[in-house]
Amino acid sequence: MGQHDKYDAIVAGAGHNGLTTACYLAKAGLKTLVVEKNDWIGGATVSRSLIDGWTYSNCSYVCSLLRREIVRDLELPRFGLQVIPYEGGASFTRDGNYFAYLSDHDALRREIARHNPRDVDAYARFSQTVIRQCRFIRPFLLRNAPDPTSMNPRDLSELLFLIKRAHGLGAKELGETLRFWTMSIGDFLDEHFETDLIKAHIAGSGIIGTGLGVYSPGTAYVLLHHYMGDVDGAIGAWGFARGGMGAISNALGAAFEEAGGTIIKGAGVERFIVKNGKVGGVTLENGDVYRAPIVASNMDVKRTFLKHVDRADLPGDFTKAVERFKIRGSSAKMNIALDRLPEFPAAPKGATFLRGDLHCSTSLNELERAYDDWKEGRWSSDPYFDMLIPSQIDPTMAPPGKHMMTVFVQYAPYDLAVDGVRSGQNWTDATRKALADCVLDKIAVACPDIRDRMVHAEVRTPWDIEQEVGLTEGNIFQGELTFDQLLFNRPVPGYAQYDTPIDGMYIVGSSTHPGGGVMAAPGANAAREILRKIGKGKSMPSFAA
Amino acid sequence: MKRTTKTPPKPVPLGLIETPFYARLNALSRAKSWVGWAGYISPVVLDTVEFEYFAIRNQATLYDISPMHKYRIAGPDALAMLNRLVTRDIAKLRNGRVGYAMWCDEEGKLIDDGTVFRFGDTDFRLCCQEPMFGWLLDSAWGFDVDIQDESDVIAALSLQGPTSWSVLKDAGFAAVESMKPFDWREVEPDIWISRTGFTGDLGYELWVPAAKALRLWDRLWDAGDHWGLRAIGFAAVDLCRIEAGFVAAGIDFQPVHKAVRLHRGRTPIELGFGRMVDFDKGHFNGRRALLKQGGKGQRHALVRIDVAGFKPADGALIYHRKKKEVGFVTSGVWSPTTKRNIALAELNAPFGIEITDDLWAEIYVNQEGKWDKRLVPVTLQTGPFFINDRARATPPRAF
Amino acid sequence: MAMSDNRYDAIVIGAGHNGLTAAATLAAAGKSVCVLERSDRIGGMSRSVDLGGATAPEIAHLLYNLNPTVVRDLGLGTKVPLVTKILPTVCLSPDRNHVLFAQGEATFANGAVHPDAAAFGLLHGRLTRFAALLGQMADGPPPALAGGVLDAGTLKEMAALGKLGWGLKRLGKTEMREFLRVILSNAYDLILDEISDGPLAGALAADAVRGAHAGPRSPGTVFSLMYRLGNGGEAHLPIGGMGAVAAAFETAARNRGVAIRTGVRIDHIIVAADRVQGVLLEDGTTIHADAILSSAGPAQTMQIAGVANFDIEAVRRVRNLRHKGTVAKINLLLDAAPVFPGLTREQTAGRLIVAPSATYVERAFNPAKYGEMSQDLVIEAVHPSLSDPSLTPPGLHLMSAVVSYAPFALTGGWTDAARAELLARTVRTLDIFAPGIGGSIRESQVLSPADIADLTGAPGGHWHHVEMGIDQILTVRPANLISRYAFGIGGLYLCGASAHPGGDVMGAAGRNAALQTLKDGVLGA
Repeated sequence: MGQHDKYDAIVAGAGHNGLTTACYLAKAGLKTLVVEKNDWIGGATVSRSLIDGWTYSNCSYVCSLLRREIVRDLELPRFGLQVIPYEGGASFTRDGNYFAYLSDHDALRREIARHNPRDVDAYARFSQTVIRQCRFIRPFLLRNAPDPTSMNPRDLSELLFLIKRAHGLGAKELGETLRFWTMSIGDFLDEHFETDLIKAHIAGSGIIGTGLGVYSPGTAYVLLHHYMGDVDGAIGAWGFARGGMGAISNALGAAFEEAGGTIIKGAGVERFIVKNGKVGGVTLENGDVYRAPIVASNMDVKRTFLKHVDRADLPGDFTKAVERFKIRGSSAKMNIALDRLPEFPAAPKGATFLRGDLHCSTSLNELERAYDDWKEGRWSSDPYFDMLIPSQIDPTMAPPGKHMMTVFVQYAPYDLAVDGVRSGQNWTDATRKALADCVLDKIAVACPDIRDRMVHAEVRTPWDIEQEVGLTEGNIFQGELTFDQLLFNRPVPGYAQYDTPIDGMYIVGSSTHPGGGVMAAPGANAAREILRKIGKGKSMPSFAA
Repeated sequence: MKRTTKTPPKPVPLGLIETPFYARLNALSRAKSWVGWAGYISPVVLDTVEFEYFAIRNQATLYDISPMHKYRIAGPDALAMLNRLVTRDIAKLRNGRVGYAMWCDEEGKLIDDGTVFRFGDTDFRLCCQEPMFGWLLDSAWGFDVDIQDESDVIAALSLQGPTSWSVLKDAGFAAVESMKPFDWREVEPDIWISRTGFTGDLGYELWVPAAKALRLWDRLWDAGDHWGLRAIGFAAVDLCRIEAGFVAAGIDFQPVHKAVRLHRGRTPIELGFGRMVDFDKGHFNGRRALLKQGGKGQRHALVRIDVAGFKPADGALIYHRKKKEVGFVTSGVWSPTTKRNIALAELNAPFGIEITDDLWAEIYVNQEGKWDKRLVPVTLQTGPFFINDRARATPPRAF
Repeated sequence: MAMSDNRYDAIVIGAGHNGLTAAATLAAAGKSVCVLERSDRIGGMSRSVDLGGATAPEIAHLLYNLNPTVVRDLGLGTKVPLVTKILPTVCLSPDRNHVLFAQGEATFANGAVHPDAAAFGLLHGRLTRFAALLGQMADGPPPALAGGVLDAGTLKEMAALGKLGWGLKRLGKTEMREFLRVILSNAYDLILDEISDGPLAGALAADAVRGAHAGPRSPGTVFSLMYRLGNGGEAHLPIGGMGAVAAAFETAARNRGVAIRTGVRIDHIIVAADRVQGVLLEDGTTIHADAILSSAGPAQTMQIAGVANFDIEAVRRVRNLRHKGTVAKINLLLDAAPVFPGLTREQTAGRLIVAPSATYVERAFNPAKYGEMSQDLVIEAVHPSLSDPSLTPPGLHLMSAVVSYAPFALTGGWTDAARAELLARTVRTLDIFAPGIGGSIRESQVLSPADIADLTGAPGGHWHHVEMGIDQILTVRPANLISRYAFGIGGLYLCGASAHPGGDVMGAAGRNAALQTLKDGVLGA
């Protein structure tokens, strides 16, 4: 075996978290290799051109959670990353009306008042609470989740940090925080608003990507998970990465390569090599072997351990814990090339709120019923979707005058039920088309000419996302964001700090704290743990607030 | 999907919108300096701040206060509901009177202050700076009372200055002559006048349905010619309100409902308004928390200070013995009438309460692009900086 | 009436088990106490009712969560007679291969070994251990977090939590981690991670959500399952009928000198200088007291104490409380002994659960979310007369069924037709397991959640007065800042199921509230 097969560290998977880990390892002087099964990097943070002239952010599609500390520290703008905030959004109704989430504060108050004057101040109260919760949670994102069963000084110090932050809230706010973290987004919105349409517009953030309904306790946290990011300090704001989400991965990849790292594409991991409880490297699907004393898996925890590690190399209770870790496919995606901007007959001409997130859901019950379908293995007959046309802001996404639309669909099951049998194999061209028709029919509520505008469309079911990207069940968070799978429980109690039962092996993807979304926090936190363990902890910033 | 032709809804206006007086203000505006106030276009200054300021203290001025939030509170339980809301005893407010009021959250932290107009036994208007409809609806739950948001339908003008009574008289509103401070009267159908204001000077506020606003403006304007009437903007009013020692929401205190950091909320006692809190009237919101806080629980003190030197101290940090940081200036101006450098400052207890000497303000001064730091002594002031007996004289003087 | 007749140290509103426990606890401390009950009968949800000559359990029909401290303090079963019989649980299966479980052991009704028996035993044992730890917290107020978590006073309050922590620690690291993982989780995943879906899983899932506006997939339902298991979870059938339970609490209270007045309507609570002074009854009588403990719901208590006496935020929190009742109560008087093919007569006397799978239970919950009753109902049924023949006239039998899901806010309202429809669906569901049972019904009684609300005053007809969701328990039960029984006005306390630890025929809330009242010194030394 030649020297070229030996590395200090190998990262399996070139998703945004794997690349973030890789960047920090390479910057600390480790000879680092990233292996990626696809012929492109990015995992679910990609820009792909499936039809000439158009670019799709064909998995993740908007950006907010990406930690600003990491963007700044890795100098990602120098590698081409630019995030542009988008303006507003709207929910359209079947009777030709809409609720516009206007970016102008005063106009938004008028718009809410147009629907119900009693909800205007409620919105201010809602926003205050959410921002307060965001401010509470943000400092935890770039820290380890403490193990409450541990007497280790580092765990105790992290626990103390948590207790201090909680103490700082005061009794009243602490109680409100306990409630917020445990309640459903539906109940939370019902406590504030009277108007169904406004509640439905906001509630989507509480279910996107999850196998929960709007009235499932814990979905207020899921909303928070979508609000805790920022664009240039504006908490809760979302933006487009210029050139599509791939711009993030490409910037990370370029930063990694500048730091001396190597990326091999088309190189899927067949097996993590384990000997005597210690990791030794990876064997690729093509038979190539690369060796390193440190191996980090960007794959989700189920895929990593149930598919690419020999069961015999793992303690039984760990394997069992991984098996019961819930990664449920619940979302589909449509990417649509348009020959021009579709008409939105309800909206005023030139409305800038069309540049934001668009929906056609009008009540919490409608959203809850969409969840009921999913529980039975069906896609929602009346689905929720989060639809954007980024080409209105980003000229690189489509040819001049033409547009690109991204539609995130909730809910679609991974194991589709057909004739009483639930299986991912039931996703065929026919069922895919039926799902697309269902979604397009509903999009037509907002833009009736949608079908006439379509040049090309890509339909991605949870099954497809798993097949292509590798995410188990196509779950966008690499694991449900429920209480039993957050903080010290994520992904497995006792292994919630990026380590695994295998010496030298780490998991660095969204299966770990603080979870999914294009955040890069798991990747950075994991790198910090890896470097600390090899005595190079000081070679990267702690980011600790 | 079947296509049907539907009439799209009328979109709400974007950006700032015009008040009922905007046409007149715009015609008079030379400075073209506007600011958003509750979504409305409001003048910062129409001509120059100096002229507008001295018009308040020497002549008469018109300031458009239409963006103020106004709520009608009426019904059998209106008094009970209001008395549970605010800290003072509204039962003592007679018909035809206006009362300054503060209201708190359950922790005794100030939500906002404003004025309560008593129209009748069961009929009130609350006028304030912050939007309060949601809170009033919450406050009204369990009471037989109806809350109407009149903010957009009632226009209002503040007519302030020594000659304001003369302007009113010449405009045909001589009936206000007998009105004492904090009286209000419906002088004509659809025109209500109260002897209130935010300047510490003689002044009135006029309330009129939006549709009749311009007619009222013109009537006053025509009458004001002899009396030096000027239209003014926010900047001049702000100078006067600091001289008069009035606190402003969002500047001298953070309305607690707007605070993300809840500890930024302040109680009326901390803001120096302990006299506004009537513990004996029965329960009101925050009473138990305020009672518990009592005197010793006061964490902060909002104080009036006189600052040495001639440079306004807005935003300055306050130090004790030049070393320990003990607070900051919330509003600071050079007072042209008293010829003093005055400010409101928030100090951390016990400073401003037990410890009142050896306090210093750190002022940054920009001299033609160059920043300079000065540490100057400050002295606490009791009572307003500006008092003038013409403000309270009844009948009012001609000038 | 002499003045002294109308002055007590404390007034307790409501003569349910919590109100009576509160009264007895105060009386034991030497306080004079008067209990005021709106209805003509004592006992709240634990009463008997006459059904065609039979003594039927009006609402609750089993005891499974009676607080041991309350039992000891009140001398239930010792100083005061109360006899119960433990019933095994029978998980009915549509294929008649029913499953039995008792004390964590599961077998098929025909004696065959159940394939999930071992896994069930482990799961049940673990849950019961965890539940016992949580159960300790029922014996005191929840942590107050008064000055934030680091406040000295709070740290003292955290002793209960510390005890819990110590208990967890003693379980070992693995179990402690498991506790922290599952405590906020959902019953569906917890159960199906260990055992296959079927009647056994279904019965556990049904136990996790009975009385709740939740399906087994709702996060927080592991907590509600543990709550149910807090005192072992065994189902006790009271001999002599549910009224015997009411009578026991009543006797315990009366023996200590508590005065109980029934059929009393309170006009309002008299308040002066932010302290309660007593109550004015609708008949004009005034009863004076230094403390008032209300086992009515928080909103009802606020109304009679005057909304103006509460802070606006407190009112808002109380208005926002969730208490959507989801269970109906059906009593059937049968003119023949019930026959469930696959069950012996002795097994038929057990606690019968219709919940063929956890998935079935979740499906049954779906319609309730939209104000509709389930097509396929989840049922807990007992035949009290099989254990206590004295309850029915000779030859007749009684079936008492707790039926889910029947939403309080039924679309169209709880009309006679809606009640008849629910009865028909219940009989249809039961008929799968006991063919022909419909033909033997001589009399029936259907109480919808709306009826239960009318009868007992329980908000939303909800068993727990306030949904036991994880955002409405412990320090935030019933709501933030009012979790320690004291309720705004000086001397006013909540002592019912809405207060910590919550509902079920338990008595802990009443006892805790009384102890808090004594501790606060509002009644003098």
